[in-house]
Amino acid sequence: MENVKEIKLADLREEAKALSADGRHPLTAMFGRDETAMGRGYALYVMFEIPEEKRLAVLKAEMPADGDLRYDSLTPILPAAAWYEREIQDMFGLVPVGHPDPRPLVLHESFPKDYHPLRKQVSATASPRAQEGAGSEIKMSVAHGEGIYEVPVGPIHAGIIEPGHFRFSQAGESMLQLDAKLFFTHRGLEKVMEGKTPHEVLPIVERICGACSIANTWSFCQAVEKIAKVAVPKRAELIRTLLMEIERITNHVGDCGNIPAGVGFAPAISLGGRTKEMLMRLQERLAGNRFLRGFIVPGGVSMDITDKLRQDIRTTLAVVAENVEALDKMFAEQENFQNRICTTGIVRHQTAVDLALVGVGARASSFAHDSRQDFDYGSYPELDFSVVTQKSGDVAARLAVRIEELRQSFFMVSQLLERLDADHTELSVAVPAAAGEDFGISESARGSNLHFVALDEAGRIDRIFVRSASYPNWPALPIAVQGDIIPDFPLINKSFELCYACLDR
Amino acid sequence: MSHMVQSLGVGLAQAFLLLIFAPLIVGIINKTKAILQKRQGASVLQEYFNLWKWWRKPVIVTPYTSRIFILAPAVYFGTTLMAAAMVPGLLVSILQSGSAGLSMGDAFVFVYLLALGRFFMTLGAMDSATAFGGMGASREIYISVLVEPAVMLAILVNAMRYQSTTLTRMVIDFDTFYFTVPAVLTCVAFFLVMLAENSRLPVDNPDTHLELTMIHECMTLEYSGRLLALIHLGSMLKILIFLVLFSTLYLPLAIPVALKVFFGALVIGVVETLNNKMRLFKVRVYLSAALILLIVSLIAE
Repeated sequence: MENVKEIKLADLREEAKALSADGRHPLTAMFGRDETAMGRGYALYVMFEIPEEKRLAVLKAEMPADGDLRYDSLTPILPAAAWYEREIQDMFGLVPVGHPDPRPLVLHESFPKDYHPLRKQVSATASPRAQEGAGSEIKMSVAHGEGIYEVPVGPIHAGIIEPGHFRFSQAGESMLQLDAKLFFTHRGLEKVMEGKTPHEVLPIVERICGACSIANTWSFCQAVEKIAKVAVPKRAELIRTLLMEIERITNHVGDCGNIPAGVGFAPAISLGGRTKEMLMRLQERLAGNRFLRGFIVPGGVSMDITDKLRQDIRTTLAVVAENVEALDKMFAEQENFQNRICTTGIVRHQTAVDLALVGVGARASSFAHDSRQDFDYGSYPELDFSVVTQKSGDVAARLAVRIEELRQSFFMVSQLLERLDADHTELSVAVPAAAGEDFGISESARGSNLHFVALDEAGRIDRIFVRSASYPNWPALPIAVQGDIIPDFPLINKSFELCYACLDR
Repeated sequence: MSHMVQSLGVGLAQAFLLLIFAPLIVGIINKTKAILQKRQGASVLQEYFNLWKWWRKPVIVTPYTSRIFILAPAVYFGTTLMAAAMVPGLLVSILQSGSAGLSMGDAFVFVYLLALGRFFMTLGAMDSATAFGGMGASREIYISVLVEPAVMLAILVNAMRYQSTTLTRMVIDFDTFYFTVPAVLTCVAFFLVMLAENSRLPVDNPDTHLELTMIHECMTLEYSGRLLALIHLGSMLKILIFLVLFSTLYLPLAIPVALKVFFGALVIGVVETLNNKMRLFKVRVYLSAALILLIVSLIAE
């Protein structure tokens, strides 16, 4: 991996502050690694994006395994680090001193105290359970005062969605404060992938998230290919980019049909739902499954997009584009709907920058954070497109960004199909086993998706860290809802379309 | 005396007749919505199946509730059933065919019977002391504070016109009633009020699973089995009552009441499809509009 700066632990805060350049270089990720098997201790990685140079800058600090496992928390100077530091504390037992909210994040009450599963000494098949009341308690943060009451929602919900507990502190209908307890179904995917070859873990990577299998696989394959120093054939890059944009279209269309469900706007819900189903079926015709699994492999792609399929994409997307325009018209003409989405759930620009938000959530607050522009990968450098932003930061802005991005994606798909017509290079190259560490990044429908992969001498995974787009965006939700009324929460929540499974890795 | 007995008998017969058809009307509304959304939708008889399902299921009551919790659905259902006996429907045709001079169905009794039922529902909702019950009760009262004067005004417009607060009396003189400005205004206003009173869009969303946005459904979350069946049957009956009232008092078309009720149900289905739920605090603007229409028609009258 290039641009790794090994620093002393004591200098971490100073170095991080200098690298972040007052938020111009957003914090991409922060994670730990157990290097005791290599005769070292625990390592802390802190990654920043340097958009103007289209690269990542990485800080790496070591601490001895048997020594003091405390370090100066970065959260007071970089609010975006809050969740990463809490997760590292759970997974490795490295303690951020001065963290404003040091509660456990991933490991709930059912896990024993002092259990740090990503340490190498812990077996991947261990499934410890704490005695009742013996685990570390996670106290929900609530507001106090006369007439202020709490509304607990979840983790089991009335609809078929994933588990999450929300605790609202209410003054009448107004939400004073929201605290969310997530990570209920931690799967231990990062742990279980250790010791396996990239080829073996590919099916797991594809299933980290149901909605973003292309984004996850692509980021992962990028990392593996960089380690092996393999260049992917041009046609494979074109197909990967095409699949990514189709996945984005499917997700954005689904969201455009889901947001009106927050206010019971039936015609838009059904049009969005029908159109999404058309896209799922297109994906099935392309990949043989509805989630585009099995397409991207290290070294390239496993299947071609034939003339017939290219024609299929063109005709299907023509109908989808028509439906999207119809949806947009429906939204614009329904005054009552506009009334609900405008000024609701505002994320201010500074908040978006401070929390290093990604994807639609960032761009709706005029923070032009888009990996397709900030990094060189896939066929994006040769494509004509622009990064869509909105200023108002409310539900309406997030919806508008999606609609405009759909138009951009349709345009990109047509460019890609044209190039695929002309290009006839091979689909994949062999990826030799190699040792090393590197990252891969891709822009999923929800925002940038980062994978860090470290392979040992045998080409097996020593550490994999997955940070999908929902991870940095979840903390923005409690801020966005403040001051709005509680009946608007489902609408605000849907406008972010955050993924629970992406946290439960 | 015999008149009293006669009208009581007729009233009860009418109440049970309405009760039997109430789930069908809700089924028709739901089917209309489904078709407009290009869905196949459930059968128009689905609500009967639902009631049967709830009726067979056991009732689960948390140990933290008082007797009010069990009492509330019964009162809610009972008062609605009594109100159903009063609306001019069957009664009218029988009265018209002979014995006049009955004073069955006073408008004030009608409105406050429904208010009594709602009062008990909100008590029942708060009794379980869950966050959602309290939230639903608070919202229900907020809406009813706005709805009640509107319903009263709508009835007063007719009361002034016919110099009587008896619901049946207002309909008996139907012959002298034409399309006048106040008649059209009250017709529109009453329709708006009807949607709010019966927890329909754009005020409340009867279909949603989103607890945080619910109003009426929020109050029923802790109920199960037969208690839930009673509440739902009461709510369905209330929609039908309002549709009958709308058809007989405010929709002066010379077609059978049953046909008018059917069309009323279709219109609710269409309106619910075209609208989305408004912001909770915007409901007062919506109901003020109905109130203003009614005040104007009262002055015009």
